[in-house]
Amino acid sequence: MNAVDADQIVAVSSMGDEELSRFLKDRVISLTLEEVRSLPSKLGRDPTLTELHIFNIQWSEHSSYKSSKKWLKLLPTEGSQVILGPVEDSGIVRLGAHRGETYGIIISHESHNHPSQVVPYEGAATGIGGIVRDVLCMGGEVIASADPLRFGDPTGKNRDRSTYVASSVVEGIAGYGNPLGVPVIAGDVYFNGSFDENCLVNVVCMGLVKEKDIIHSYAPEGADGHDLIVVGKATDASGFGGAAFASLVLDEKEEDSNKGAVQVPDPFLKNILIRASRQVFRELREQHITAGFKDMGAGGIMCATSEMASDAGFGVDIDLDRIHVAMDGLTPHVIAAAETQERFCWIVPKSFSPRLLQIYNDEFQLPLVAKGAKASVVGTVTKERQYRLSHKGKVVCNPPIDEVTKGVSYERPFRERGRQAGKAVLDSRISLSEPADCRSVLLQLLGHPNICSREKIYKHYDTEVQGNAVITPGQADAGVIAPLRGSSFGIALSVDSVPRYNRIDPFQGAVLAVHEAMRNVACVGAVPTALTDCLNYGNPEIPEAFGDFVLGVKGIAEAARNLYYYPEEKKKSPVPIVSGNVSFYNMSAKGSSVDPSPIISCVGVMKDYAKAVTSSLKGTGSTLVLLGRVKDELGGSAYLELREQAEKTDGTERAGERLPQMEYGEERNKIYGLLEAIDQGTVAAAHDVSDGGLGVTLAEMAIQGGRGIDVDLAFTGLRPDRALFGETPCIVVEIRQGKEEAFAAIMEKRDVQVFNLGRTTKEGFIVRDEDRKVIEATVDEMEDAWKNGLGGIF
Amino acid sequence: MDAADRTGKNRAADEAGGRREGRKARIAVIYFPGNNCEEETMVAIRTAGMEPSLFRWNEDPETLEKFDGYVLPGGWAYEDRVRAGAIAAKEPIVEQIRKEAAKGKPVLGICNGFQVLAESGMLPGLGTAGKGTAQGTHRASFALAPNRNPFICGYYCTWIRVKVSAGKRNAFNRFLKEGQVIRMPIAHGEGRLVSKDHTLAARLVEKGQVMFRYCDVKGNISEDFPVNPNGAEQNIAAICNSEGNVMGMMPHPERANFMRQLPGMQEGWEEAEAAGPGRPIFGSMREYIEERQGAEGNPGEGP
Repeated sequence: MNAVDADQIVAVSSMGDEELSRFLKDRVISLTLEEVRSLPSKLGRDPTLTELHIFNIQWSEHSSYKSSKKWLKLLPTEGSQVILGPVEDSGIVRLGAHRGETYGIIISHESHNHPSQVVPYEGAATGIGGIVRDVLCMGGEVIASADPLRFGDPTGKNRDRSTYVASSVVEGIAGYGNPLGVPVIAGDVYFNGSFDENCLVNVVCMGLVKEKDIIHSYAPEGADGHDLIVVGKATDASGFGGAAFASLVLDEKEEDSNKGAVQVPDPFLKNILIRASRQVFRELREQHITAGFKDMGAGGIMCATSEMASDAGFGVDIDLDRIHVAMDGLTPHVIAAAETQERFCWIVPKSFSPRLLQIYNDEFQLPLVAKGAKASVVGTVTKERQYRLSHKGKVVCNPPIDEVTKGVSYERPFRERGRQAGKAVLDSRISLSEPADCRSVLLQLLGHPNICSREKIYKHYDTEVQGNAVITPGQADAGVIAPLRGSSFGIALSVDSVPRYNRIDPFQGAVLAVHEAMRNVACVGAVPTALTDCLNYGNPEIPEAFGDFVLGVKGIAEAARNLYYYPEEKKKSPVPIVSGNVSFYNMSAKGSSVDPSPIISCVGVMKDYAKAVTSSLKGTGSTLVLLGRVKDELGGSAYLELREQAEKTDGTERAGERLPQMEYGEERNKIYGLLEAIDQGTVAAAHDVSDGGLGVTLAEMAIQGGRGIDVDLAFTGLRPDRALFGETPCIVVEIRQGKEEAFAAIMEKRDVQVFNLGRTTKEGFIVRDEDRKVIEATVDEMEDAWKNGLGGIF
Repeated sequence: MDAADRTGKNRAADEAGGRREGRKARIAVIYFPGNNCEEETMVAIRTAGMEPSLFRWNEDPETLEKFDGYVLPGGWAYEDRVRAGAIAAKEPIVEQIRKEAAKGKPVLGICNGFQVLAESGMLPGLGTAGKGTAQGTHRASFALAPNRNPFICGYYCTWIRVKVSAGKRNAFNRFLKEGQVIRMPIAHGEGRLVSKDHTLAARLVEKGQVMFRYCDVKGNISEDFPVNPNGAEQNIAAICNSEGNVMGMMPHPERANFMRQLPGMQEGWEEAEAAGPGRPIFGSMREYIEERQGAEGNPGEGP
C-alpha cells in the first residue's frame, strides 16, 4: 500500500517550518504548512515531490471548492426535468421526446478570468476550448455558446489596458469559437472600474444528446483492466499550475511568470478531435459498449484520470512514459498535471482500444494534423484503489485514490453586509432634481457602453453556423435555436447579472440576476427550465468579500426556489441550477474586489420554436402595454449612476440601498402570463425593462423595428424621469393586432397587472406625461446614439 | 446523434425533392481538416432531394468518381495557413474534382470552398484561348483578400442581400430569376474578390460569369459599406466558370435553407420550415444532374 521508490520521497516530517516554507516557495507549491503536515498521516509516509504537486492542485480553491462547497449546498439542483445535476463536467436537462427518444440539453458554465486578464486572446480562446470539451465529453453535439464579459472602465485611468483586454478577448472568442463551428447565441458585457485589473470572461456552452447516449465522465461498471487512453495534443508544460493560478491574486510584478500558466489554444486540432470523437461515439453505440470520457482541464491528466476512476470505485496505474509528450525532460509532475489544451481521456475495454486508436490516429490522422498529437494507451483501471504513477521505471506517486479526489474543506469566516431589504428606505430620500431634458438623458443612456448596441461585438462571432438559428444576438432578450432537426423544439439561452446592483446589495443583485435571466427567456416565449451560475467574487480569505459570496448564493437560492418551474400544471419545482463554477480572487493587486458577479444563465425550452417573438416592433398602430407596475425605485439604475457622475457627488447615499424589489408571486404571474400569451399568438414583440429603464426598452424596440411610438406615462403617477429611467423589472409587450381581448383575458386569468402605454406609430418617438411631451425624438437619432456606443473600444 | 437522425427529416422538403423516381443524385461533401459547415451543407443537399456523403480529405481520390456532384463547404481548411484555401487547393482530391468537372459534373464551393476553387485556379475558368479551359489554369488569377470593412476589422458575420445577375442558364441558377434580390448570410474575414488583372472583374460581369452581386434592399449595386460588405470588386459575391458547372460563392446558401434561419420570425412552423432563399441553388444542382443523366439515357443506374 502506498509504496513508492524511496528516492522520490521528500522528508517533510523532518523539516522545520522555515525550511519547509522555503522548499514549497522554491517549487511554487502554495499548500499551507498545515496542509503539507497532514499528508504523512494520510499516506503513512512522507509524500513524493509529484504527490506534493498533485495535492497542491487538488486542494486549490479552483479544484476543491474548499471555501465554497458548504454554501453551494444551499442551491436547488434537483427537479423532474433534471437528467444530470452539477456533478460531472456538465449538467443535463430534459428537452423532451421526439420520435420515441428523449433528448437532453447539456449545459456548462465556466470562467477564464485570470488567464484573460494576463493574456487576453489566448485566455479567452482557451476558455471556449475548455467548455466545449466539457460539453462534448457527455457524448453529445455542441450546439451553442454564450459569453458574459466584464471589462475595466474604457474611459478610466486604466483605459488603454482595459480596451486592449476587451478587444483582444472578443478576438480570442471569435478566433477560437468560429473555426470550431459553434454559434454564439447570447452574451452580455459591462464595463466599470472595478474590473480594471481583473476582467471576467465567463462562457456558457450547450449541447444536445439523446438521454440513452449520454457518456459519463467516470469508469463504467466492471472497468477493472480497462485501458486509459489519452487523446489529443502532445503534453507540454503549458498551463502547468493553471488551477493554482486561478486561485491566486493577480500581481502585475509576476505577470510574466503567470503567462506560463495560460494554455495555448489550437482550434484547428479541436475541430478534428470533435469530428473524430463523434465517430467514436457512433461506433460505441453500435457495439453497445459503455465507456468513460472526460475533458482534461484543470489539473490535466492527473485530475481527469483520478476522478474518472475514483468516482466509480476504482484505482489507476499509469505509466507516464507512455503519454505522448511534446518535449524531452518533462518532470513527472508536469506530465501528470500540465493543462495542455485539446486533450481528452477515455476509459474503454481493451478490446475496443485498437479501433479507438485507429479512428484518431489513422482515419483522422491526428499526428499529421498537429505535431505530436495522437491517441495513446497510457495505463489501466485497477481494482486496487490507489493512484499509481510510474516514470522511468520508478513509482513516483501512489496515494489512496480517494485522498487525491476528496479534497479539503474550509469554514471561512464571513461578514455579511447589512441589508436594507424590508426596511422603509424610500427613494424619495434621493434628492434628485428633475432633468431639464429627458430626451438628452435618453440619448446619453442609449449611447452608454453598458447599454448600447452590442453589434460591434457579436458580428465578430459566427452566429449562424450549424444552420439552427431562429433568433440570433441583437434581435431579442435571448437567443433561440432549433437544433433537433425535424422537430419543432426550440432552445433559448440568456445570461445576466448587473454589476451595479451587486455592488450595492450582493443578495438582491443575485436575486435580480436570476430573475432577469428567467424573464429574458420568457420574453422570447421559452419556459425557464434550468439555470447555471458562475460565481465571480473576490478573495475568500477576506471576510467581507466572502460575505458577498455567501449573500450571492443565498440570493440565487431564494430566487430559484421562488420563481418556480411548472413541469406539470399545478406542480411546482424550483428552477434547478444544473451546472456552475466558482471563481474567487477576482480583485486588484491592492486588494479591492471586482463587483460581486453571480452570472446566471437560463435555459428555456419551447415546444414550438416558430412561436418565438423578438423585441422589435412589428406593426403600426398596435397597442403597447406594460406588464407590472412601475415603482419608484431608482436605486442601482444606470440613470442614477449617470447623474452622480455628471454632478460629481459621492454616490453612496444616492445610488440608494434600495434596488428594485421583488414580489415573487407577481413576477411568477408575469413570466407565466407572458408565456401563455406568446403561446396563444397574442404577442407581436416583448422586451424586458432592465439597464436604462423603460425609456431604453421602448427605444430599443423602436430602433429594432424601425417604427415609432406614442406613449403616455401619466398612469405611473411618477415624475417622468423616475418612470422612464427607474429599473423596476417590468416587461413591455406589443400586442398582436386583433388579439387585444385574448391578451387581456390571459392576463386577467393569470392575475397580471397590465398598464396601457400607448401605440406604435410609423415614425417618431413620443413620450407624454398627460398633456406635456417629455420626449420627442426621431428613431434615427436614437439609433445613431445606440449603434455607436462601443465605437472607441472594438 | 448520427447525421441521419438530425438531417433530412423535413417532410415537405423531402416530398418536393424526392419526386423523381430512380436513384437520387449523389453529392460528395468534402471535409478538409478545419471545415465546419459540412453538417448543415448536407442538410441543405438532402432537403433539395439529393443524397450527400461526407468525404474525408484523406480518402482515396479516385472513389470521388462515383459521385454526381461536389460541394466544398465553409470553414478553415488547413487552418487557412498561407492563405485561405491555399493548402487544400493542392490536395489530390481537388485534382480529381477538376477532372470530374471537366466531364460536366457540378461543383459548388461555399465560402472557404470558394477560396479553395480560387486558389486551385478552377475559377474563373474563362475558357478562352491562352487563358486555359473552363476547368481553369492551375494558377490563381484572382484572390479573396482580407475584407475592407470600416465597421469591423477581420471576420464579419452578417446578413446581406445579393442580386442575381447570371447570364445563361447553368447548373445553379435554374430556379433564380435575373435581377431577383435574395438574402443570405456571410461569415468570413477574406471575401474581397480582387485581381491584379484590373479588367478581370468587369470582364466576368460582361461574360455573364458573375452569379451574385452585393446589393441593397432595392437591388442597387452600391460599392459602399454596408451594401458591399467586404469591398469586393464589382460587388462580386459569386462567380461561375464559362461552362456554368463550377460555382464559388462567399454567402452561405445552406444557412438560408429554411425560412426560420432568416432574421425576423416567420408565422407558424410550416412556414418557418419552408424552403429559404438559398435552397434553389441546391435544387438547381439537382435538376442539372437529373437532366444530364437523362441525356445520357441511364437515369436510374448507379455507377
